[in-house]
Amino acid sequence: MHDDIDFDQILNQYRSDPFEYIDVRTSHTGLLQFRAKEEDVVEGVTGEWQHIKGTLLFELERERNIKPVHSSVIGVVSSIERSLEGKFVEAGETVMTIRHPLKKREIIERILKNVLSIFPAPERAKYFFAMDIQSRIDKHGQRSISIKPNDEILTMSLMKRDTPVSYQGAPGIIHSVYFEPGQTIDQGQPLLGICSEDTLPLIQKIIARVKAEWD
Amino acid sequence: MGLIASEYQQSLHSEPSSRSYLPPEIASAILRYGAIVGCEIEHLRHAQRCMDLAREKILSCEGENRSFPSGHVLIADQLTGSKGRFLRHWHAPEGGIWMVLTIVNTLLPQQAQLYSLAAGVACCEALRHYQVNASIKWVNDVLINGRKVAGILTETMRGPTSGEEFFLIGIGINVNNSSFAPELRNSATSMAEFSGHPFALEEVTARLLSKLSWNIGLLHYAEAENLATGHGLDNDLPHPLITVWRALSDTLGRQVRFGFNVMESPQFTAKAIDIDNRGQLLMRLANGQMLRENSGEIVYL
Repeated sequence: MHDDIDFDQILNQYRSDPFEYIDVRTSHTGLLQFRAKEEDVVEGVTGEWQHIKGTLLFELERERNIKPVHSSVIGVVSSIERSLEGKFVEAGETVMTIRHPLKKREIIERILKNVLSIFPAPERAKYFFAMDIQSRIDKHGQRSISIKPNDEILTMSLMKRDTPVSYQGAPGIIHSVYFEPGQTIDQGQPLLGICSEDTLPLIQKIIARVKAEWD
Repeated sequence: MGLIASEYQQSLHSEPSSRSYLPPEIASAILRYGAIVGCEIEHLRHAQRCMDLAREKILSCEGENRSFPSGHVLIADQLTGSKGRFLRHWHAPEGGIWMVLTIVNTLLPQQAQLYSLAAGVACCEALRHYQVNASIKWVNDVLINGRKVAGILTETMRGPTSGEEFFLIGIGINVNNSSFAPELRNSATSMAEFSGHPFALEEVTARLLSKLSWNIGLLHYAEAENLATGHGLDNDLPHPLITVWRALSDTLGRQVRFGFNVMESPQFTAKAIDIDNRGQLLMRLANGQMLRENSGEIVYL
């Protein structure tokens, strides 16, 4: 099924450039003032409750309100659109790029995304497993849980409104869980990684190989 | 049912206090947006759980290729299988208001997440109309002197045929009922217990519906205005519903314990500082760090 994926090539790519380049975009319109410069080392969000903000990257002023924008990841500012300094920018404009060093775990996750079917968060909210799924996970472990399209697998909670979330995708088992109960997940971020049972050996092989070969 | 409907119509026209400061054309616009609330009212003697029944009704309606009316209200005199979040016990005997308002969500996500707050504001305003000293605890619990008098549980379902997103807003208010389950005895109260006299249940129900109509209308109006004026929905301008929520709440400035399920898994204690235009609670930890939460529960310390 995934025989066409050249894992040697993928691993070599990560070996030669073990970074992810993250574009930082403006969340809304406003006057832009940079507060970081090229090659600055920036910190990501930290703290037990993810409550300590990362390094201040820039500020957007709109309607006399100044909105500070902080880095969400650790890394180095690799480029800045200096021409935008002091200018009015549109929402969604890329204003800088952060070079984020990938850890072994992140590399495994990224490679696995080639073979896992990723189920993303439909809205920025907190998520937890549907009660029957949770009790099955508690009893048998997540990789024993088979799911198919339209199964209610999660509950999304936002402002005390609970929404059942149905799975859409190919039938399979829950291989990776990317959220923790009570943690706010941004829209589009991965919640689950699903794979077919016959893909499991390949996944184990990838994990074993990265673990063995990566320093 | 007829009595509630007629009381509701009277309430809508006789309750200018909260909108007297608005120009008539704005008040009319808000009322037009909220007019869907109570477009159909069903009143049952008893039900197991209004929320489940509302779901069945949506499914049945769509199964017959009909649209389920947005603003439909289902009221039961008593519930035999009611439950709160996390399967917590919810006692719903005769004498209280137990209802589900079903709304087809037509708001953008930034505003739609304020439905929960709008329902809490509506409950609190309805109680205060009767001189009941109620206040809101974030997100939308309504308390009298720290004891719960009203609770709101909102669930969403997608219509299988229409694809519409239905918000089922379940509201329970202890009005004349004064017997509570033993475990709730010290944490629950009723309007009658506070006031020392019973209330006309139909009238309180109608008052609640008119408050829901107004506050849901306000959400739609605010969204339309923000889009029309080019401010967008992520602005920092005062939001009319949030302004009212702040005035009715006793949460801000309090020391609180927070948790997604605070009874079973409390996470931290902090001081509640404010809520933002998305209804998110801003809290300050003892070390000065700020947190912003969009879901979860608090208890006062």
